[in-house]
Amino acid sequence: MTATSAAALPESDQVRPAPRRWGAPLWVGALLIVLAFLVIYPLLMLVFGALSDSNPIVDGFGAFRPSVKHFVDVLANENVHLAFFNALAACGGGTILAVAIGLAFSWIVVRTDTPFRGFIAGASMIPLFVPPLVAGVAWGILGSPKTGLLNTVLKWIGIDFRFDFYSMSGLILVFGIYYAPYVYMFTASALRNMDPSLEEASEVSGASAFTTLFTVTFPLIAPAILAGSLLSFVVMLGIYGVPAALGAPANISVLTTYIFKLTAWSPPLYNTAAAVAILLMVVTAILVWAQQRVLSGKSFATVAGKAFRPRALQLGRWRWFTFSLALIYLFVVVVLPTLALVIAAFRKFLFIKDFDALFDAKAYSWVHFNSVFDNPLTMLSIWNTMKVGVITALVGGALAFAIGYTVNRTQVSGRRSIDLLATLPVAIPGLVVGVAYLWAWIGLPGGLYGTLWILALAFVARFMPDTVKALSTSFMQIHRELEEAAWICGRGLLGTIRTIVLPLARPGVVASMTLLFVLAIRELGSSLFLYTSDTTVMAVLLLDYYEGGNVGKTAAFSLVQTVLLAGLLGLTTWLSRDAAQGSARVG
Amino acid sequence: MSSALLIENLVKRFAAGKPAVDGVNFDVPAGEIVVLLGPSGCGKTTTLRCVAGLEHPTGGRISIGGRVVSEPERNLLVSPRERDIGMVFQSYAVWPHMTVRQNVAYPLKHRRGNGGGNIESKVLETLELVGLRDYADRPVTSLSGGQMQRVALARSLVYRPQLLLLDEPLSNLDAKLRIRLRDELRRILKQTGMTGLYVTHDQAEAVVLGDRIGVMREGKLLQMAPPGEIYNRPADSFVANFTGASNFLLGKVLERQGERATIDLGAAGRIEAWTPQPLSPGDRARVALRAENIRLGERGPANSFTGRVVERRYQGMQTVYDVEFGGQKLEVLELGTAARHQDGDVALTLPPDTCWAYRDEGQSAID
Repeated sequence: MTATSAAALPESDQVRPAPRRWGAPLWVGALLIVLAFLVIYPLLMLVFGALSDSNPIVDGFGAFRPSVKHFVDVLANENVHLAFFNALAACGGGTILAVAIGLAFSWIVVRTDTPFRGFIAGASMIPLFVPPLVAGVAWGILGSPKTGLLNTVLKWIGIDFRFDFYSMSGLILVFGIYYAPYVYMFTASALRNMDPSLEEASEVSGASAFTTLFTVTFPLIAPAILAGSLLSFVVMLGIYGVPAALGAPANISVLTTYIFKLTAWSPPLYNTAAAVAILLMVVTAILVWAQQRVLSGKSFATVAGKAFRPRALQLGRWRWFTFSLALIYLFVVVVLPTLALVIAAFRKFLFIKDFDALFDAKAYSWVHFNSVFDNPLTMLSIWNTMKVGVITALVGGALAFAIGYTVNRTQVSGRRSIDLLATLPVAIPGLVVGVAYLWAWIGLPGGLYGTLWILALAFVARFMPDTVKALSTSFMQIHRELEEAAWICGRGLLGTIRTIVLPLARPGVVASMTLLFVLAIRELGSSLFLYTSDTTVMAVLLLDYYEGGNVGKTAAFSLVQTVLLAGLLGLTTWLSRDAAQGSARVG
Repeated sequence: MSSALLIENLVKRFAAGKPAVDGVNFDVPAGEIVVLLGPSGCGKTTTLRCVAGLEHPTGGRISIGGRVVSEPERNLLVSPRERDIGMVFQSYAVWPHMTVRQNVAYPLKHRRGNGGGNIESKVLETLELVGLRDYADRPVTSLSGGQMQRVALARSLVYRPQLLLLDEPLSNLDAKLRIRLRDELRRILKQTGMTGLYVTHDQAEAVVLGDRIGVMREGKLLQMAPPGEIYNRPADSFVANFTGASNFLLGKVLERQGERATIDLGAAGRIEAWTPQPLSPGDRARVALRAENIRLGERGPANSFTGRVVERRYQGMQTVYDVEFGGQKLEVLELGTAARHQDGDVALTLPPDTCWAYRDEGQSAID
């Protein structure tokens, strides 16, 4: 039967699969070339830079003599050591604080009957969206040793203590409170997935709630705690904004600020910057690798099968205590900094001689906003930021879709290499991407340097892992048989993707593009090295204002940026929710 | 003798709807094992968790060993760790970050007033009891499901609590292992003289393990009796059906004398039945029958009829017949590897002691 029908097929149909055999390798080759162009080439140039003391493109390739000695010299430099250990201290301290806060919060939200838990859970994620530089600026306004608002308040109350956030402890504190959500995300989901009878068994055995927490609960979610703290450490390590705002006045350099300082030297020390960037990248890569190992290890806590009844510890009167803890955190991390920015932006002079002067209406005006918008660079930077955001979202989204589909949904050979290349940037801090792109394009005449495209491509490369991961999740939710059914119906591969995969994955695609857009418009680290006066973006301009020393203008522009970001975030969330509903109707 | 566990008028209401446990009363004398049996959602697990202190009752009183541990009316609630109980969970709940020995030693180390004692020897003795002595230093994650459940059992026995609670401990195991562990569980419980409250939806488990069985439905305790009585004298049609009486004949009560009733089945004729309920002549009745209590091909002294075999399903060790008589249908089970009856007319005896008449409250009363 089968034989006859096969024989009955027109000859051309039987031959048709042949071109496909060329199609797959061509496709894989094209993707690999694109990824090599985006990731490998800049990294190679970074390595070349680190291994020489001349710029081969400016000085000509003839002058380029690679030598490990240059790299070793840089690593032996005392300033590099200092920046390295400062970074470890700031991020280590910050991580410890973040673990304490994140763990406490996940326990309060998942395991207690604290009132308004949902609100607490949502609001405690806000710090993730605050650009680090804005947070740094706000805490500078609050906690600078002389004019800090907190110190003004302390003086008014008559307490002798003075805050100094321009210090290592200030850095640690701000790191800790802003990056606690990374720990929270891991520990909260581990707690949620944990079989509550594991804790009940301990209680019935006669152990106190406290003993249970430390002998059963925390050991069981130890992998999640470790993964969360490694992630927050890595993120802090790559942050430029916070140490730039709080460390610089006290002359505390961490790796990121040190790298930027090197390129701002006159003449710029690009080779040294490349070498330190590689140091930063290697440390990051080791930690990311360790985190992946922890995550891929067998998880203790989850038990398949029976659905758990959520178990909430009844705290009685203590639940108002946990509730106020949460409120204090939100106050410190959201309300206080916002208040500081608003006061600084609207006051003509930040100097406040006593507490009453704070309420003097005459001292407030729009003058800083006017002067910010009088500067033509301001509108240019906003416009540029939007353009870069859109380009990044479209190019990055399309590329991630192609990669995600190829890796998750096909059997073509070479897809493992594609996956590897696309995941590689996970271990490269934004600042390092910036230095690498600088090395890759600065000397090429007629190249990308000086255009918005170099920023967009750097962002695409930098956020590739996040986008591909987000998209892969939505691919996994589409059952393979849905695609196979379309093939059986006679659709080709591209037709199937267009008519089946794309519509079903639409919410995921829209969400990933939204994510890319938001990440791109707030990115500072990689922009630092790639902008020119024509292509300045908001984050960079804010840094300019800050370094210019005018607190009022800095605060005003911080507010402008925050409001824009919040507005866009709201808009895109609304858009992607709409897309999700659209597909729910289809499915 | 005082009861090891006494439950009086227990009520547990969750946020909305009917109460999950609705006025349950029973007691467990020391050394006895009581099994709560019922379909999912009947309130048996909630009852158990109230006894453990993991759920907080809305009303009623729970006393363990003569001490009141929960009485909401007096605002009295003793925490689980002070109730002197042991508990075996459905999901085993053995701690995966500890070895077998550490799991079992945990309660001894963390209980108040345990005075240390010889933890090591107690642990080994208990592991010996459950047959895991050779596994003491293995991580529990390397054990099979059955072994994990034994660790859980050892952990709850090691400190000799006054009362052992078991929440469907065998339901996550495969069928063969379940039967083996069931018999072993009874041996261990009897050997240690434990007082136990055991929750399950599996009748076979209930019969083997329970000194008494309590059948629950929709938060109410319908009957609490030794297994033989539950199986031979079910108090209502739900208990009869849940324990396996799958046949129901519908009719009207003609007369009743004590526990004997005569029911008119219409075209099929009259039937003598036992009844636990005060039925009056004229009441609509539902007569429950177990498929294996019906005798095919026999003419007994009472309740003897002629039926017709319409279908026969040979199942190897038994044969199931669909028999029609007087417009009503019966399922009859014949044990043995030989199927002795053919399609067509057949003699039929329904021994009066195995016919149980209840007031007919519609199909919903037995589902």
